[in-house]
Amino acid sequence: MRRSTTTAVRALALLAAASLALTGCGREADAGGDGPGQGEAISDGPATGTIDVWAMGTEGEMLGDFVKAFQEENPDAEVKVTAVPWEAAHDKLANAIAAGETPDVSLIGTTWMGEFAEAGGLEPTPEGLVDEGDFFEGAWNSTVVGGTSYGVPWYVETRVLYYRKDLAEKAGWSEAPQNWEELKQFATDLQKKAGLEYGINLQPGQTGSWQSMLPFAWSNGASVTNDDGTEYTIDSPEMTEALEYYKSFIDEGISGPTRILDPGELESGFAKSTFGAFISGPWHAGLVEDAGVSQDEYALAPLPGKDSAPGTSFVGGGDLAVFSDSDNKESAWKLVKWLAEPEVQQDFYNAVGDLPAVKESWESGKLADDPQLQVFGEQLENTMSPPAVPTWEQVAAEIDADIEKAVKGAMPVDEAVSHMQSQAESIGTGL
Amino acid sequence: MTSTKTVFEAEETAVTEPGRGATGRRGPWWLYAVLGAGLVLMVVPFLWMVLSSVKPEGEVMSVPPTWWPETVTTDNYEALFTRLDFPTYFLNSILVALAVTAGNVMFGSMLGYALAKLAFPGKRLVFGLVLFTLMIPGVVTFVPLFVLTTNLGLTNTLPGMFLPFLAAPFGVFLMRQFILGLPDELIHAARVDGAGELRIFFSVIMPLCGPAMATLGILTFLGSWNNFLWPLVVAQTEDKYTLPVALALYSVGQNATQYGLLLAGAVVVVIPVVAVFLALQRYIMQGIAMTGIK
Amino acid sequence: MSTRASRHVDPTRRQQAVAAWVLAVPFMALFLVFTAGPVLASLGMSFTDIRSADMRTPFAVSFVGLENYAKLLGDPLFQKVVVNTGLYVVLGVPLTMAMALAVAVGLNRITVLRGIFRVGYYLPVVTSIVAVSVVWKFLLREEGGLVNTMLAWVGIDGPAWLDSTTLALPSLVVMAAWRNLGTLMVIFLAGLQTIPEEVREAAEVDGAGAWQRFRHITLPMLRPTLLFGAVITGIGYLQFFEEAFVMTKGGPLDATRSVTFFTYDQFSFGNYGLAAAASYLLFLAVVALTVVQFKLFGEKD
Repeated sequence: MRRSTTTAVRALALLAAASLALTGCGREADAGGDGPGQGEAISDGPATGTIDVWAMGTEGEMLGDFVKAFQEENPDAEVKVTAVPWEAAHDKLANAIAAGETPDVSLIGTTWMGEFAEAGGLEPTPEGLVDEGDFFEGAWNSTVVGGTSYGVPWYVETRVLYYRKDLAEKAGWSEAPQNWEELKQFATDLQKKAGLEYGINLQPGQTGSWQSMLPFAWSNGASVTNDDGTEYTIDSPEMTEALEYYKSFIDEGISGPTRILDPGELESGFAKSTFGAFISGPWHAGLVEDAGVSQDEYALAPLPGKDSAPGTSFVGGGDLAVFSDSDNKESAWKLVKWLAEPEVQQDFYNAVGDLPAVKESWESGKLADDPQLQVFGEQLENTMSPPAVPTWEQVAAEIDADIEKAVKGAMPVDEAVSHMQSQAESIGTGL
Repeated sequence: MTSTKTVFEAEETAVTEPGRGATGRRGPWWLYAVLGAGLVLMVVPFLWMVLSSVKPEGEVMSVPPTWWPETVTTDNYEALFTRLDFPTYFLNSILVALAVTAGNVMFGSMLGYALAKLAFPGKRLVFGLVLFTLMIPGVVTFVPLFVLTTNLGLTNTLPGMFLPFLAAPFGVFLMRQFILGLPDELIHAARVDGAGELRIFFSVIMPLCGPAMATLGILTFLGSWNNFLWPLVVAQTEDKYTLPVALALYSVGQNATQYGLLLAGAVVVVIPVVAVFLALQRYIMQGIAMTGIK
Repeated sequence: MSTRASRHVDPTRRQQAVAAWVLAVPFMALFLVFTAGPVLASLGMSFTDIRSADMRTPFAVSFVGLENYAKLLGDPLFQKVVVNTGLYVVLGVPLTMAMALAVAVGLNRITVLRGIFRVGYYLPVVTSIVAVSVVWKFLLREEGGLVNTMLAWVGIDGPAWLDSTTLALPSLVVMAAWRNLGTLMVIFLAGLQTIPEEVREAAEVDGAGAWQRFRHITLPMLRPTLLFGAVITGIGYLQFFEEAFVMTKGGPLDATRSVTFFTYDQFSFGNYGLAAAASYLLFLAVVALTVVQFKLFGEKD
């Protein structure tokens, strides 16, 4: 495979890291938060040469056939797709970057961008490759690390409210709740009037609960970092208020249980009227239907905002990035650009079911007509992505732990919030 | 004392299992009752795994779990077998696992014997190194090991997958402890008969190590067969994937897991392991009948 | 270790030494190539502030001395996971050893269907952890779980095993003992074969009861194997991770989080320096435990 002398040098350096303890070379002082600026614009001609692509799971399985259209347009290019299991894909990418043994292009989970870009593994997006304004804002922001964009959004997912429509009607709700007060009443009515065990299920802390809680905070005007992503701004009255609100569902017994659910328990419970509602992403539609909930029995709605404004949700998904160790960068970017074209994004949705990151793709076809999909389309207009900093996963774990402490009453809410802030500050942004 | 003749007798009679024949005891009935009750507790999750692999996705993860499938489906297996190039992945897996197993059994017994029964300078140091390596958590050396493997030009090769694990401290330690339990008299007798040191190892000790080698073989094969992260990171193209890596391709998604596929994959992966266990387990019970010693 | 021959030129002794090194060469060669370097590199990393983002420029990091170690020892979460890990070892090792030994001795005594028994007791080792976790979560459920249902028969109101900060850890220990028993059983079965049948029969003729034979023949003669089992099991419990990962994710409120769990998290956060330091602290604990076990099971020198 591609073994360059630079990787050899790098590895020798690493193996000799023990001697580092004695010599102490030291870090260069960081010039500050400004990134290196975008890459040079690429040429117009067709792509050439071999383009190695890694893509995870189903995306990887489908992409091989899908890029045939690209190869027809670029007869001198050969796209080789390797499917990588999602499980441990992060580790595989991290190791590949460390050893300089990367493909040319890879699908990268949106929350990994900060880490891999900071590692120097990714190329800045070339100037003028795509138009930032074509993408959902939250999705684009996931590519921006320290002011520089390191890739292009490929597909997105966002979280919306799933609820049992039939039971909601029984409880007197013909429409989804529009604000926080209504959401509380909605869940209470589902529980009391429709006789459910829990009106809603909100994750009571532990891994990934930030994805459920932060949308409430964002909807309330709170933020995790300041605008340029250099400082944490978690400790705010808005964050505290949002966590209080979140916790109140559990305190009042509307949301439960307080343990983590077993795999499949949420879907089974949704089917058996244990839970009346929950917040999750597009993949859950298939899961609840597998569990026996028919399409007439449930509905989706955008997250309610605090007052009249729409709620802000979490946006995740996958970005496409080109590696700095690639020896075919121009052609690699051409493939990325092609995959981000609105029609190609639509075709990819039709083939794989991943929601397009390009707004224009939602204006026609099934994405424009299907009422369920339209809920996601609507929600995507109001989304935030977590800050694309290398330390995000660690900060998120602290937030998860503090949510659990607050929800279970092991720590007062305001203390939990200021603890999140102090932990995040001590971890730093890693930029 | 004894002569080499009895040593070779020991080899011949090694296959007779103790307790059988000589006395004809079957063991007390209550022992069967206790062990039988324990057996039920041990196999239930395994049976659930097998039964659930033929349930449709919605039923697999229903809570509380169902026991017998309400609907039997082969969808999960079909999804795996039609989407994956099984022969390739199976071959990669089996080659890597066999190489690792053979290497560990061979090198483990060699060094294990030296550490157990031979006097040599540096013995304490070598044994110390073995124990030391045994205790280092694998996660800590993972990244440097991968960088090293890359620079040896071994990424995307099968040797890259097995060479780093060919001689594990576990095997050395296991073999040393087992061989320590073998009577010294066997070795003395062979030396008296003029056998060379290496000949003693190959002709006297190795034949008596059946139980330990079978044990090591089973445990090493299992470990290598189930190894996931290393082959995934070393393989750069799908044709170098091992079975567990390939089976994980579609069952675990970015946000959701398809448990039906996952359990079907687990059943597929476990079959060779059980086969190896069945093939080797009888050697575990090779008693050492040392008639004539003491 | 054996010092039966004299220190002076002794042809047998020299032959032994030559043979020993010939036998040691393959292992040592592979050790030097694939283990020594990575171990030294990781040890070096533990004295620096290296993060995953630095892996392409491993020299451009700062030497921080023992700072990672000091930071860990002062971290309340690390202190908590150390205590948890200690509990895993103290509860898990004796339980697993005793159960595995009992099963091995039992299986060694029976002659009918022994193959089926051996495979059966080994099955948990090869069963997918996902299937194991589903079944065990069902067993341990607060309402409708099998354990609590059985407790209810005798009038006991069973607790929420995995949701309790005090009961979750012992529950995981029982599950881990169940899961790892098969490996140890196989090892003990092999060890039992080194005990010559004649010795046992002779003792029986002398009128020794089953317990006495076990106490005075089986246990002493099994000592090397027991030592191996204890060391391996001790390392296993000091590196406790998988059960907590699938059953409780380290919760509730970190009650089941182990040192390895903590280390694994730090690795996935990319804090390689800190994670390496945590690994070497754990390594020191393993060394200490192993020394104790060597003393306890008395390596005959």
